[in-house]
Amino acid sequence: MIEEELSAMAAELSGKLSRVRKSFVLQVSPEKVKDACQHVSQLDGYYHLSTVTGADMGDKISVMYHFWKGKEFVTVEADVPKSDRHLPSISSELPSALLYEAEVKDLLGVVFDGNPLMGTRLLLPDIYPEDAPPPLTKEADPEKIRKMMELE
Amino acid sequence: MSEEEKERREVGAGLMEYSPENLVPFGPVHPSLKEPEYFKLILEGEKIVEVHPRIGYVHRGIERAAQDRTWVKNIYLFERICGICSFAHSLAYTEGTESLTEFQIPVRAKYLRVLIAELERIHSHLLWLGLVGYWTGFDTLFMWIWKDREHVLDLLEAITGNRVHKSFSTLGGVRKDLTPALVSKLEEETKFITERVKYYETLVHSEETLVSRTRGVGRLTKEIAERLCPVGPLLRCSGIDRDVRKEDPYAAYEFIQPEVKTSNAGDIESLLSIRLAEVTDSCRMISEALDRLPEGPVRVPFPRIIPRGDAFFHVEAPRGELFYFIRSNGTPKPERVKIRTPTLANLLTAAEMLKGRPLADVPVVLTGIDPCFGCMDRVTVIDVDKSKKWSVSGEELRVYGIEYYRRGAGKR
Amino acid sequence: MTLKDWARKKSIWVFDVNAASCNGCDIEILDAFTPRYDVERIGVVLVPSPRHADVLLVTGTVNAMMKDRLKTIYEQMSEPKYVVAVGACALGGGVYKGCYNVGHGVDKVIPVNLYIPGCPPRPEAIIFGILKLVTGEPPDPKEEE
Repeated sequence: MIEEELSAMAAELSGKLSRVRKSFVLQVSPEKVKDACQHVSQLDGYYHLSTVTGADMGDKISVMYHFWKGKEFVTVEADVPKSDRHLPSISSELPSALLYEAEVKDLLGVVFDGNPLMGTRLLLPDIYPEDAPPPLTKEADPEKIRKMMELE
Repeated sequence: MSEEEKERREVGAGLMEYSPENLVPFGPVHPSLKEPEYFKLILEGEKIVEVHPRIGYVHRGIERAAQDRTWVKNIYLFERICGICSFAHSLAYTEGTESLTEFQIPVRAKYLRVLIAELERIHSHLLWLGLVGYWTGFDTLFMWIWKDREHVLDLLEAITGNRVHKSFSTLGGVRKDLTPALVSKLEEETKFITERVKYYETLVHSEETLVSRTRGVGRLTKEIAERLCPVGPLLRCSGIDRDVRKEDPYAAYEFIQPEVKTSNAGDIESLLSIRLAEVTDSCRMISEALDRLPEGPVRVPFPRIIPRGDAFFHVEAPRGELFYFIRSNGTPKPERVKIRTPTLANLLTAAEMLKGRPLADVPVVLTGIDPCFGCMDRVTVIDVDKSKKWSVSGEELRVYGIEYYRRGAGKR
Repeated sequence: MTLKDWARKKSIWVFDVNAASCNGCDIEILDAFTPRYDVERIGVVLVPSPRHADVLLVTGTVNAMMKDRLKTIYEQMSEPKYVVAVGACALGGGVYKGCYNVGHGVDKVIPVNLYIPGCPPRPEAIIFGILKLVTGEPPDPKEEE
């Protein structure tokens, strides 16, 4: 049943629905993330946003929103190009995403437009060098960052 | 914008907005006893208006380090994320990784994983209850409970070989097996813990010191809980019965089912009773697991390379849902492991629960969410009325809270 | 023992700093103060301020956020002061060695008198370490240099 609703949603948002074991992954374009997340969170019982994950996939960063109910996760996934790391924030609709989005911004440099925490740091130390790449990207070299922060 | 939408925006949305006058420079940190963590509180007289958390004082960069280590080495790394729920981390990681392969884990190993996970839940909840006693000025409770907790740590040490970082769960099963002597010791000790918890259950609802500090403090409603998505006992105290062990069973939880306790009160007192009920339930689950423990091996050989794929996995750690996202690219090292710890999910809810409460309630409410060890040190206080700033350490705040209630100001 | 040392001898007061550790060591330290181990019977007291403390127990890898704060805390202590590094991370980074936000040991930031290894060390080991400070002659890192 949930599968039908999700495939209807995928058709509406011109996204792609795939199945990973017992979970669903709904791939949408970055500008549709907000709509997709809102729709999923309004499905029966899927209001619980487990977290927002970012992963560096080479030339793009994939950002995933995991919603949980029962035995399934519904994941909304969007790929952000590395040259333009911007996504609309869902925190005005789903306030639980506030800290998760701030974490992705800190660790991967994806800016969520509309999140009030974008101007501050949540996880990274204050002395983290501005010119160093965000720590979870492939370009970041832990040794170099340590040297820049004078932790040796 | 409709009324409903407007209210939806108000809860949480303005929670973290920083205006220039709110920004207070960090003073010299004064971490007494507990984990360093930073909360900015904005007050109106005695009442808390806003809470701004700043985390990252114990940020080490584990997710990045995981990408440079092999699958097996990562077990030991993830285990050391937290010294209290270390087994929950290794369990989530190993089970999540195993779900990427076709390997069948021996059933006995699954039962043993449940056994240790429940023992860890008992030790974590008892530790937390002791801390609540400490923060409310009921030191006797703290000492008693930590003494009882030693019995659980002894068991953990006898079974796994270490008190804190157990390294018990591994890819393909568990490291050690139970001996008959341990089984009888386990039965004996769980009986002892159940007896003690019965006593504490009457204590927390009758002892004036605790009741006056916990009853009606930090009310959490179902609506706020649905919006801010807290996890674990905090979610259950608002009346929502969500427990990963029940809803999405992992390890052997489909055979040994937990009883999910909820409460509609949503205050710290209900958190006390929920956690104590969980300890009793864990004792029951342990003896059930021992009764049904199947024979067989506890470990199978496991490959060094994990096939390509994504795993979304979560377990019920003592503090709530612990989420792992594991992405493998078919090499000996993971491509990306994302961890969302329960405390991060509960942080916003704690901030919401504090709003409108007197300053004296800060230690109890922040400890109430069971942050990895009362993360409430270094609280900067801004008094809006007197436009005065001062900093207090956790210890000073503890004394202040005890004094506040002793004067009778807390009696409303 | 000189007259000055004799006159300054007293019960040891300790202050515990978590400089980005996993909590394991901190709980074992706290455990040492609870009834099973009870170090207060030998006069060791956990104090809430470094200004009152004789011994600083440091756990954890000392990350970038805690580095300067740890120095400040050390400077706030009055002489004679001793620093004890507790746990594998405090000794040399432990399992986190190589992470981008951790230092490799407390002794890179402040002088350390005594090291207690273990991940985490048992409460007995922590008591043994503190007692070494009372009974033995702890090495002075300033003299070694």
